[in-house]
Amino acid sequence: MQPSHLATPLATIEQLETSGSQLDGIPADLEDSVRFAGARLTQAAGILLRLPQEIVAQAIVVFTRFFLGPEGGSLAEYDTKNISASSLYIIAKMSAWPKSPRNVINVYTYLDSLSSTFIDIEELERKHDAEEYYVSEGTFQSQKAQLFAIEPHILRVLGFQLHVSLPYTLCITYLQALDVFNQPRASELAKRAIARLNDALLSPQLLYLTHQSPCLATAAIYLAAKEVGVKLPDVEWWEVFDTDREELGFLVVGMLSVANFALEEKGKWGKRKVPMTVEELEVELESRRASNSEE
Amino acid sequence: MAGASRWANIDDLESQRKKEKEEKKRLKQLKQQQAETEAEALRAKKEQEELDSRPAKKRKLSPSPENRSASASSGEKRKLLRFEAGGWGPCRNVSNFETLNHIEEGTYGWVSRAKETATGEVVALKKMKMEYAQDGFPVTALREIQLLQHSKHQHVINLREVVMGDQLDEVYLVMDFIEHDLKSLQEIMPEPFLASEVKTLLLQLTSALDFLHTHWILHRDLKTSNILLNNRGILKIADFGMARRTSDPPPPNLTQLVVTLWYRAPELLLGTTTYDFAIDMWSLGCIFGELLSKEPLLQGKNEVDELSKIFSLCGIPTDMSWPGFRRLPNARSLKLPRDVEQNAGSIIRTKFPFLTTAGCGLLSSLLALNPESRPTAQDVLAHPYFKEAPKPKSAALFPTFPSKAGGEKRRRASPHAPVRGGAAPGLGGKEIDFSGIFARRDEEQHGAGFTLRMG
Ligand SMILES: Nc1ncnc2c1ncn2[C@@H]1O[C@H](COP(=O)(O)OP(=O)(O)OP(=O)(O)O)[C@@H](O)[C@H]1O
Ligand SMILES: [Mg+2]
Repeated sequence: MQPSHLATPLATIEQLETSGSQLDGIPADLEDSVRFAGARLTQAAGILLRLPQEIVAQAIVVFTRFFLGPEGGSLAEYDTKNISASSLYIIAKMSAWPKSPRNVINVYTYLDSLSSTFIDIEELERKHDAEEYYVSEGTFQSQKAQLFAIEPHILRVLGFQLHVSLPYTLCITYLQALDVFNQPRASELAKRAIARLNDALLSPQLLYLTHQSPCLATAAIYLAAKEVGVKLPDVEWWEVFDTDREELGFLVVGMLSVANFALEEKGKWGKRKVPMTVEELEVELESRRASNSEE
Repeated sequence: MAGASRWANIDDLESQRKKEKEEKKRLKQLKQQQAETEAEALRAKKEQEELDSRPAKKRKLSPSPENRSASASSGEKRKLLRFEAGGWGPCRNVSNFETLNHIEEGTYGWVSRAKETATGEVVALKKMKMEYAQDGFPVTALREIQLLQHSKHQHVINLREVVMGDQLDEVYLVMDFIEHDLKSLQEIMPEPFLASEVKTLLLQLTSALDFLHTHWILHRDLKTSNILLNNRGILKIADFGMARRTSDPPPPNLTQLVVTLWYRAPELLLGTTTYDFAIDMWSLGCIFGELLSKEPLLQGKNEVDELSKIFSLCGIPTDMSWPGFRRLPNARSLKLPRDVEQNAGSIIRTKFPFLTTAGCGLLSSLLALNPESRPTAQDVLAHPYFKEAPKPKSAALFPTFPSKAGGEKRRRASPHAPVRGGAAPGLGGKEIDFSGIFARRDEEQHGAGFTLRMG
């Protein structure tokens, strides 16, 4: 794929302030949990489908856009896992790595069969046959109808704005520009920076929807260099990459907090699964109401 | 019609449910808005009070770069690059527009002139043809939209937004309305464009093509009906229905079913599956010739006829002029005479007696059989033809014409764009011998006969 010359469209203040889900009475913390789990689900499916990370990242951004803002889709109306599947399907379809509905459905059904939401993503990399996971013909047909039915909803809510410019290539370019590749720990640094960029996709602060890719790449490098212990130039090098001190600081903190948030989520849900459908969400809301009235 | 009414009932229920829901949402939003206005008022008041201390509102973050106190000046120091990236919002409904008249029914859509009710602005609406295939929402439609979104250029048609009908499979492109397309325009013009006008049109067209190619976009359907011209002499490339992104090296197995026959490059006719920007440059050559004479240049009746017309205008390919052409799938069944004396340039010169030497040079190079010999868009822009007299006419001085698109429906005579998903074209069924046709033509003293056989 050729890198695009266009910047990423960003969310407006209004879109960040409220959402269709909140307007439908879904508490913000639950929304955060579901969105986080949905983004991870997309990541997991992308790995099982052996899609390049660029495709997965775009799909996660599209998924996240869908549920944003008062005019966005509501978790009370759309099954999270369907939005995840259709986002991934549509982005892959437009790329050089299209995936058949069959493979997408098999993989999502496999993920659905797992007992926990918080599966180890790295373990999935070793799972190679999820694309052949058995799905009955009847289920397949109805799932396929779902997959296709959701597509135009995503396109409508996003106004066909599927464009995402990603920080991955930039990140490598910047590292080259910073002349780090002759340093001993360069490859570790690059790996770490990419990992930070992947984490940021799951950020509850929606970093990919609020910041341009040069800033994301810069922050990931800054952070990774501190972590790996590689020394970067003693000047305000980030400004060369169109990032000011304030945004850099904000992004660094944002990226650092993803890991904590993930831990909290894992602790909060324990063995329970995060609701991924409207129905499951209803059950969760019901049990919250019940426990509230008990108190 | 029991069946129909049953569906109607379900639809009614569905729409009632939807209405209720929307009303609920609207009320919630209203409440939210009220709360927001109040909050906003409060915020504004507070901000007013805090005005002086404002610059100090700087985050202090633990692992962040050491916070130097010279922050006030550092903000001023360097202007950092910021993009205008825009955002997104849901598609509006097509009912925001009133149709004024239909312009054209093409292969992939229907285009009409319409007015946005709220603003009175006139736009062009193109209804996308939704051929739901095995893969859900047509990827062709997605590509056309995405490539238009990515092709913001003075000489590329501006896509304003995408709107939908009541059904989610009704998708419309909202574009700036442009008065003419070059094909319909030439049909009503009594005389061809002047040399100075041809230069201006060609420069505008090539600058757009340069932009597309620089961004790795192949148009794949350049022809006069896909090139629009407004009444201020500004040209816009339209119809990205065939366009796609490419790469270096080009992706393998691109479809050969691209470009309307009369504008289709010889390598495509010969069945290549790896091709590049040169196919657009060939079409540009065809358009150049058409602008000069007000007549499509190579009006083949079918693939074989198109090739024969190409060979008789541009000469017959040889291993010298086009190394490797014999390896193309359809070339194997090509029977070409050996050692023909060729002078393609002279045929083109005979055909365009008023074109200068530089002009003939440019046209012949665009119509080079060997794709690698064709100039790039960059090369064309720098060509001496545009420097010599007459100078390109300023767009503002272009004559204006009555707009057909603003009035009646158009009719078309040129073949339609190839149908997507059709079978790859071979070169007809039977062995066809063209030597007879050539013998009758004046330019064919060299006896450039050849035979095409079905492979
Ligand atoms: N923005 C516009 N303003 C005015 N007329 C337009 C506009 N866009 C398209 N048209 C007219 O509509 C015709 C068809 O448009 P377009 O080529 O985009 O559709 P299409 O269905 O893909 O056509 P085809 O497949 O026949 O090439 C054009 O030839 C032109 O005459
Ligand atoms: Mg067209």
